Amino acid sequence: MQNKTKLQSNGTVLVVGGGLGGIRAALDLAEARKDVILVDKAPCIGGLMAQLDRTFPTNNCDLCTVAPFTAKEGRGGHLDMRGLTTVTAVSGKEGNFTASLMTAPRFINVEKCTACGECLRQFPQCVSFAPGLDPRAPTCMRYPKATPYAYVIDMAKCGDKEALRKCCPVGAIEPDALPKAEQVQCGSIIMAAGADLFDPSHLDYFGYAAQPDVVTSLEYERMLSASGPTGGKLLRPSNGQPPKRVAWIQCVGSRGLQKGAASYCSSACCMFALKEAIVTRERFDQGIETTIFYMDMRTFGKDYEKYLTRAKEQYGVRLVHARPHDVLRPEGVDKLQVIYTLDEAPKHITEEFDMVVLSTGFKMNADVKKLAEDLGVELYADGFPKTDCFNAVATSVPGVYVCGTIQGGKDIPETMTQASAASCLAGGKVAITPRPRAEAPAIMPETVEAPKVGVLVTMCGQDTSVIDSKALVEYAEKIPHVVCAAVFDTSCGCAVTLESLKSTLMAKGCNRVVIAGSSPRYELGKYQALLGQMGINKYLIEVANIREQVAWVHGDQPQEANAKARQMLAVALANVIAAKPLADHVVATNKNALVVGGGVTGMTAALELADQGAQVYLVEKSTELGGVARNLVKTIEGGDVRALLAGLAEKTTKHPNIKVFTKTQVVDHSGQAGLFRTGLSVDGAYKEIEHGAAILATGATPNQPKAFLLGENSRVCNQLDLQKVVSERLQEVKKWNNVVMIQCVGSRDADNPNCSRLCCQSSIKNALAILKENPNVRIFVLYRDLRTYGRFEEYYQKARDLGVIFVRYKTDNPPQVEAAGNFVNVTYTDAIMGRQVVVSADCVGLSTGFVASRESNQALAKVFGLPLTEDGYFAEMHVKLRPVDMDKAGFFVAGTAHSPKVIFENLTQARAAASRALTVLANDTLVREANFAHVDRNRCAACLICVRVCPFDVPRITVDDQGLGCSCTDDKGLGRSYIDPAKCHGCGTCAAECPAKAIQLNQFEDAQILASLDQLLAKVNV
Amino acid sequence: MITAERKPLEELLGYIAPYGRILLLGCNECVTVCAAGGRKEVGLLASALKMAARKSGKDVEIVEHTLERQCDPEYVEEVAGLVGQADAVVSMACGCGVQQMAMRYAKPVFPALNTRFMGGSERQGVWDERCAGCGNCLLGVTGGICPIARCAKRLMNGPCGGSANGVCEITPDVPCAWHLIWERLEALGQTQQYMEIIPAKDWKTAQGGGPRKIIREDLAE
Amino acid sequence: MEQFEPVIVAFCCHYCAYTAADTAGSQRLSYPAGVKIVRVPCTGKVDAKHLLTAFEKGADGVLVAGCLVGDCHFKDGNVKAARRVEFTKKYLQEIGIEAERLEMAGMSAGQGKEFAETATAITEKIRALGPSPVKGKNSCCGKAA
Repeated sequence: MQNKTKLQSNGTVLVVGGGLGGIRAALDLAEARKDVILVDKAPCIGGLMAQLDRTFPTNNCDLCTVAPFTAKEGRGGHLDMRGLTTVTAVSGKEGNFTASLMTAPRFINVEKCTACGECLRQFPQCVSFAPGLDPRAPTCMRYPKATPYAYVIDMAKCGDKEALRKCCPVGAIEPDALPKAEQVQCGSIIMAAGADLFDPSHLDYFGYAAQPDVVTSLEYERMLSASGPTGGKLLRPSNGQPPKRVAWIQCVGSRGLQKGAASYCSSACCMFALKEAIVTRERFDQGIETTIFYMDMRTFGKDYEKYLTRAKEQYGVRLVHARPHDVLRPEGVDKLQVIYTLDEAPKHITEEFDMVVLSTGFKMNADVKKLAEDLGVELYADGFPKTDCFNAVATSVPGVYVCGTIQGGKDIPETMTQASAASCLAGGKVAITPRPRAEAPAIMPETVEAPKVGVLVTMCGQDTSVIDSKALVEYAEKIPHVVCAAVFDTSCGCAVTLESLKSTLMAKGCNRVVIAGSSPRYELGKYQALLGQMGINKYLIEVANIREQVAWVHGDQPQEANAKARQMLAVALANVIAAKPLADHVVATNKNALVVGGGVTGMTAALELADQGAQVYLVEKSTELGGVARNLVKTIEGGDVRALLAGLAEKTTKHPNIKVFTKTQVVDHSGQAGLFRTGLSVDGAYKEIEHGAAILATGATPNQPKAFLLGENSRVCNQLDLQKVVSERLQEVKKWNNVVMIQCVGSRDADNPNCSRLCCQSSIKNALAILKENPNVRIFVLYRDLRTYGRFEEYYQKARDLGVIFVRYKTDNPPQVEAAGNFVNVTYTDAIMGRQVVVSADCVGLSTGFVASRESNQALAKVFGLPLTEDGYFAEMHVKLRPVDMDKAGFFVAGTAHSPKVIFENLTQARAAASRALTVLANDTLVREANFAHVDRNRCAACLICVRVCPFDVPRITVDDQGLGCSCTDDKGLGRSYIDPAKCHGCGTCAAECPAKAIQLNQFEDAQILASLDQLLAKVNV
Repeated sequence: MITAERKPLEELLGYIAPYGRILLLGCNECVTVCAAGGRKEVGLLASALKMAARKSGKDVEIVEHTLERQCDPEYVEEVAGLVGQADAVVSMACGCGVQQMAMRYAKPVFPALNTRFMGGSERQGVWDERCAGCGNCLLGVTGGICPIARCAKRLMNGPCGGSANGVCEITPDVPCAWHLIWERLEALGQTQQYMEIIPAKDWKTAQGGGPRKIIREDLAE
Repeated sequence: MEQFEPVIVAFCCHYCAYTAADTAGSQRLSYPAGVKIVRVPCTGKVDAKHLLTAFEKGADGVLVAGCLVGDCHFKDGNVKAARRVEFTKKYLQEIGIEAERLEMAGMSAGQGKEFAETATAITEKIRALGPSPVKGKNSCCGKAA
């Protein structure tokens, strides 16, 4: 028997899958005030990422980074999350789908459950999630910060239901609960159900099934995790001893290597293995030898190449270019033997390791495949959905979108980008649902009570193990005004922990809070929301940064680290005691958007925004739209770039909501998210526009390094020009005998340390195009690591099958190129033959990649006040979790202005940036933080210094009480400085310069800074 | 406004050497505006004096306070309590404020500033002299530019022979006041004014007649 | 005698240097523990008084770390801060404190390595200079020493 509920309201997006991608998509929609239902078959959301110990390239603890997203509060009622729920059927079409949902019983009443853990204690076999390493027990809390916070029971494994029911002190266990079925209507669907990982059990030569010390990369990850089966201790499963030598074997289940393996590259495994190797050495034992056996090191993401360099140089991770064919453990031997062959020495090498990690790739999940089939989505043979070659998140069924690993193997930033892009498209199909606003302004207390401070030390297990958190709590307890102090281990902030933090603080009547944990840059907002729920002004909080600025940098000096942690805590306490409750400022939002850059990325972003009702100003510095894509002909998949470009340009110029400004540059800028003012020079004439959000899509510059006769010999060109030659000068191409392509020219070197990402596929694209016209030509591709990630790998295989010769070169022995009459001679060393080979080439195609448009980026960064990376690209707010957001609220980045990438990836980012911008533009008002300066009019000498030094021209000396929007009608107010909170940017320059000390900056008052200094230097001078 | 600059620390240290408790007194008027003796500068000087004293192995206690205006007896009266507890007063006001304090209190009062001139603000952080307080203002006939305060030689009828390219021969980075006057009169279309001879100045109204006093009969009690 | 471990107060702007310090953390780049960070929204917020007070309270060195010139989130707060640092250096010289104990540095948010290197370099510089001349000479410590 099942409960039946009636139909829900329409105008909703259904998101299937509560992993990181599903969460991001759902949050984007909810923030853009669209109703969304998020379902996941697991009892709690978080997906695969929640099981990772840390993520590259920041090596943060993932629990800490995922947790803020899964907190359920504060989404304005737009987000309906359902765990244990599957989609059983879908009917209808775009705009009007009907989905049947089935929610399995949790057997625990979430409302009653206090998460005391009593059921877990009484069923001692209960453990947290650890795939393949531990048996699942009846009560499984999947990972420590599961959301929604409740234990879940596998009733099938429970022998005595009554005993289980009775063990709960609050009666939350309901063994007789029933599954619930319901139907929901939705306008569009986002499939974010993730993918499975390849199961290597059948590959007996790797010994996974037989050898306990052979594990998959995810299992190894769980072993590294503080919440994993070994409690964060790295031990060999066979004997419980710490390993001395660990090996990784790449491409297990990917690149068509093994039986049952997929033909694509899973894209994320190289970085994953590097991260695990780094973490192994960094956190467990510098002495552990880490070796990665790889085919091509595919570190193609933004700044990933630097991570690879760091792994090699700083952490001593050993990289071996080899495909081991056997992992053996002979009788009586305690170690695993990995047998492999090197390029230059064709003989078997046997090396011993304590553990072998198989870097298993992604594959389609059978249930997800069935759902996709039910929806009528076209699939590849491997089960992954086919997507449009210019729209990676659109399936063959209108209104059904995909994001994350369901679309193919990928890492977190790509997943987050796709999630936002999918939400942009899916959200475009449904209307905004009016609901009361989500973020409440700060609560202002009627009276300021004496400080009662609650101190919470939130630590991330091994991450910060150098800090003795108990001692820290004991120290805090002795400080005046502290009424409670507690440690919250392996947690810094999902809904769960926040709930328990809240009850602890409220029980003690705290009215101020100090958190000792990670940087306030990451966590402050979340804790402020918590204070709001407790009825405390959200500015009565301080964060002591004892993770990034203590534990992680002084890990090798426990005594100093602990002393410093105490000091940072004392500083935070002094600060919070000196803090004052502050009022937020609420401003109305301007619903226009500025898009800078009129390439395919900029136009796509502009069109998505314009289609959703925003008025868009599209600014292009050149005379026409199109950007670098004007040089492209086709994509590797055969997508017609010229048709795409023509279509976009026409739609953009004709769209009633888009104003295009060509020959235009940005000259000045002021304001903040929701209310920006930007000055443009439109063909020399000044024009000011107002907008609520901005997207930077300024592109990058094709690199033209001085190397290999480029620019000197007409037979040497870059891949962009080669593509033109192939499409326009066919007769010439048909006569060619030899073509040589050289990869990584001007990339991955000292001048440009990053990988340009797109060159490997572009040389293969050109190779295939040349072969099509001239099947007899010999093509040599000289490469360092062939980075045909994802489905590009299939084109790489095709090129190999068609006879393209791929030769690996090393940087210490690069190819030589010299003019030889009508030809160009290319000399390289063939490792297998062990000698030099000279090719007389008709054409040499150099994969020169892209470099940042450094000068124009710097100019824009200066006007807008935005950070750039070391290489001159725009820096996103968080490489993992906020890949298109910028540090300045209301600003987003897309396309090659972020980093080099191929066209469909640029378009995905464009849609993602549009989605993120809509989260700003969809709101009628924005709450401005109380980070503005204020004037004590009794002290003000009206000296004008603040008026003169303010970089944003905000302070005014009030001349009358008219029109200033301030309550300065008293005599003292007139003729004194007034700083408009809506305009103040909060830099504090006026406060520092004021000769009368009449100006203070909220949150950074002199009293607070001096109190900090007092604490920091307390023991120094006494 | 009256402009001033801080004295060298060494001189101040000499003044306060015999004393243990110092009242460091700022003024929220002119010296605040010219960034010489407001609350902020009081704070800086207090820190500096304490550190310098400590460096020489001595401890000095400094109480910081800033008055609304140190040249008015009523405001000066407000600090009676603070002065009572201090061994000496260091005033960060202009000379007027220092004297007001010295007249009111029997404690030693030392100036922390050198009072410079009556001037105006050219831009942020830059002040220049505009008025010499001569007691008989000529600005009405000199195009609003004062030849007394702004001409090194206080010439009354045109520039000296050293004026070249609009620059003063004594201080080359200072414009010649008479050059400025001429330009200004030209701009106003009043060059005939320049032809009028200004008679020799009677310096009695200036400091030449000794300390001056203003009495407003209607206001004076 | 115990080795002298300099105490450095580092005023770091939220957008660049403080973030660079966090980046140094995420890259596990260590630097001397004596470098104590005070977060400010912009180096333009750093008052000369804060710099002097840091020395008065016993700092051996003070670092003002902001964005690279031209990168300031608030246009030119770092340039203003640099002027203030120069002004304060003159004050320090009058007091008898070596001006090089006070230093201004610029770095971008991603430059964790630069932060760690700057922090290490200033510590070594101050170590060579020895303890601050105004430290440990007040009455309570002076007698003991």
